Amino acid sequence: MTKDSGELKILVIEDNPGDFILIEDYLSEEHHALEIQRAENFKIAKAILKKTSDFDTVLLDLSLPDINNTELLVKEILSFSNETPVVVLTGYTNKDYGVKTLSWGVSDYLLKDEINASILSKSIHYSMERNKVQHQLYESEEKYRTLFDSSPLPMWVLDRNSLEFLSVNQAAVNLYGYTREEFMQMSVRDLWADDEARIEETVEENLHDFFNIKVKHYTKNRNLLYIDVQSNPILFGGREARVTQAHNITEKIKAEEKLRHSQERFKALVQDGSDLISIIDENFHYAYVSPSVKHILGVDPEKIEGRNVFDFIHREDRDKIEGKIQYLGRRKSFQLPSYRYKDGKGEWRWLETIISDLRDDPAVNGLIANSRDITKSKVQEQQLRESLERYDIVAKATSDLITDFDVEKNEFQYSNAIYDIFGYSQEGLAPSKEWWQDRIHPEDKQRVIEAAKGIYEHGQKILGIEYRFRCANGEYKYILDRSYVITDAIGKPSRIIGSMQDITERRKYINAIERSNERLREIAWTQSHVVRAPLARIMGLIELLKNQRNNLDNIEEIIDNILNSSEELDKVIRKITIKTEEEF
Amino acid sequence: MLEVLIVDDDQIVVFIQKKMINNHEIAQNPISFSKAADALSYLVEDQKHPQQRDFLILLDINMPNMNGWDFLKCLEGHPQKSRYHVIMVTSSIDVKDKKEAENYSTVRSFIEKPISASDCEKIKEISEISHFFKPA
Repeated sequence: MTKDSGELKILVIEDNPGDFILIEDYLSEEHHALEIQRAENFKIAKAILKKTSDFDTVLLDLSLPDINNTELLVKEILSFSNETPVVVLTGYTNKDYGVKTLSWGVSDYLLKDEINASILSKSIHYSMERNKVQHQLYESEEKYRTLFDSSPLPMWVLDRNSLEFLSVNQAAVNLYGYTREEFMQMSVRDLWADDEARIEETVEENLHDFFNIKVKHYTKNRNLLYIDVQSNPILFGGREARVTQAHNITEKIKAEEKLRHSQERFKALVQDGSDLISIIDENFHYAYVSPSVKHILGVDPEKIEGRNVFDFIHREDRDKIEGKIQYLGRRKSFQLPSYRYKDGKGEWRWLETIISDLRDDPAVNGLIANSRDITKSKVQEQQLRESLERYDIVAKATSDLITDFDVEKNEFQYSNAIYDIFGYSQEGLAPSKEWWQDRIHPEDKQRVIEAAKGIYEHGQKILGIEYRFRCANGEYKYILDRSYVITDAIGKPSRIIGSMQDITERRKYINAIERSNERLREIAWTQSHVVRAPLARIMGLIELLKNQRNNLDNIEEIIDNILNSSEELDKVIRKITIKTEEEF
Repeated sequence: MLEVLIVDDDQIVVFIQKKMINNHEIAQNPISFSKAADALSYLVEDQKHPQQRDFLILLDINMPNMNGWDFLKCLEGHPQKSRYHVIMVTSSIDVKDKKEAENYSTVRSFIEKPISASDCEKIKEISEISHFFKPA
């Protein structure tokens, strides 16, 4: 050791004054700057160490007058010395005993008999050096631990082979919802949401290397996370391990997805939609026209951009559009009345447009016009109006009751014949299917409802059925109800147009004929039997008279019987005549 | 042996039929019943002392209380029904009656009143009973 070592501050715990002087001598031989303090016994040593803790080394004699338990002495001094290296001086020659004190934590062990200046100095310096290195190591571990534990990034250490968790930090606990203890029972495989094969492969290929992979993890609550994993191989407590950073990119991925969707939506709306979107500047010139104009109006957007909007609008419709546009600035958004617009072929199309005033928006700096081609429905509307007019005329011209039933709204509309035929006044009608069914004769109701199923359940288009219907005065009328079904786009009945003919007179007449036919049949049958009975008797008796005259005892009686039967026959025939006259 | 029963509520008809049956040698002494129920009792009584006889029954359809059809229904239940040979005799034959008669195994023929000489000859030719009229 050189004499220019830095200043040493040493506590010597030694009861023997001779030994102390000797030690002092040795130390001053090797060191210039030396501050030695002496403690004569354990009690004083304790007091000194409690007060000052900046000694570079403590030299401890094991045989002190006020303490017998060597182990207690060593441990107490070590605990008070506060990480200052302690070198033990002793007269014992027992090596094993020396080793034991080392195991309690002392830095070195010297026999008093063997000490000289250089041995002592060397021992003190080694102890100090070792202590310093240990301290640095501890600090670096501490730093690492702090870095791991308090990192805002979720991190964990895995066994490199089994992928079991060896350590996790607080951020990982917070993100995944598992406690540390739960993590320690798991492997990272338990977090994987899908794609296991790909992850296994990456892990295997980079067993002793860094890798980076994007994966999906489940939290304890089965929330899906998108994680960007960075993993490095390390040795952890002597085990092959890897330390992993889990970067939660769920929000980012979601935001990206949202953005992509909204971009796609926008693209779909503007480019491929059936609506025509344009931006119009303050002078009503087209600044932008969406590509959909190509298939809606058959014009290239470039042909229109820059032109005045009104150039394309039908002269007769310009006034009403201008009338509406004067509200510009007062309302953010308004609808224009439908108008005619010249398409690429010079033909008129009906358009319906919503104007949004976005002149304040620097991205637009104009009016957004959202237009829809309604030519088809305009034409249909026209046709429908004509058809309805025809229907009205027919309804007025016929004595039949015309009904129009809206299936979805469950609403009937009636022509005025509802009053003429049935006596119901148009006001105060509850126009529903149930109202109608309630007025069908109880004996006919089930049959009519069954027949109507053909329309609602089997796609039947036309239904003709006879039934009795109750009038306002409680009487029933026979009607022939012929219905025609109008279906919607998917073939479901939407309206049922019916014509109800009052066939009461005809029905009554037919019923009368049927009844009288029935009666006639009955009359004919009974009369033929009643007539034939006496006639058969007469015929039988005459046959006897003719062929068996010789075998007959009383001819007079037979002749009387013939006469009686003839009279009976005469009576029967007269009765028939009278009865027939009665019936008709 | 073939015994003849006449079932009719009209006494003049019974008289005519008795004469005809006699004179055409179908039977010497036909028994007559003005009520179908009486004829049925007679047959039921006869069953208690079977004498191996066949019965030719001239049956009117329209009678008060038990009519011809009711009578036929009762005969269907008799164990000896193959020995009953019924001729339906009615003032007017209609198709409905002929159809109805097909339901009864005992009905052999239809005769429209009055019974004639040729009707009597045809009765003798009915296959189930013709053997009673062949000379020994």
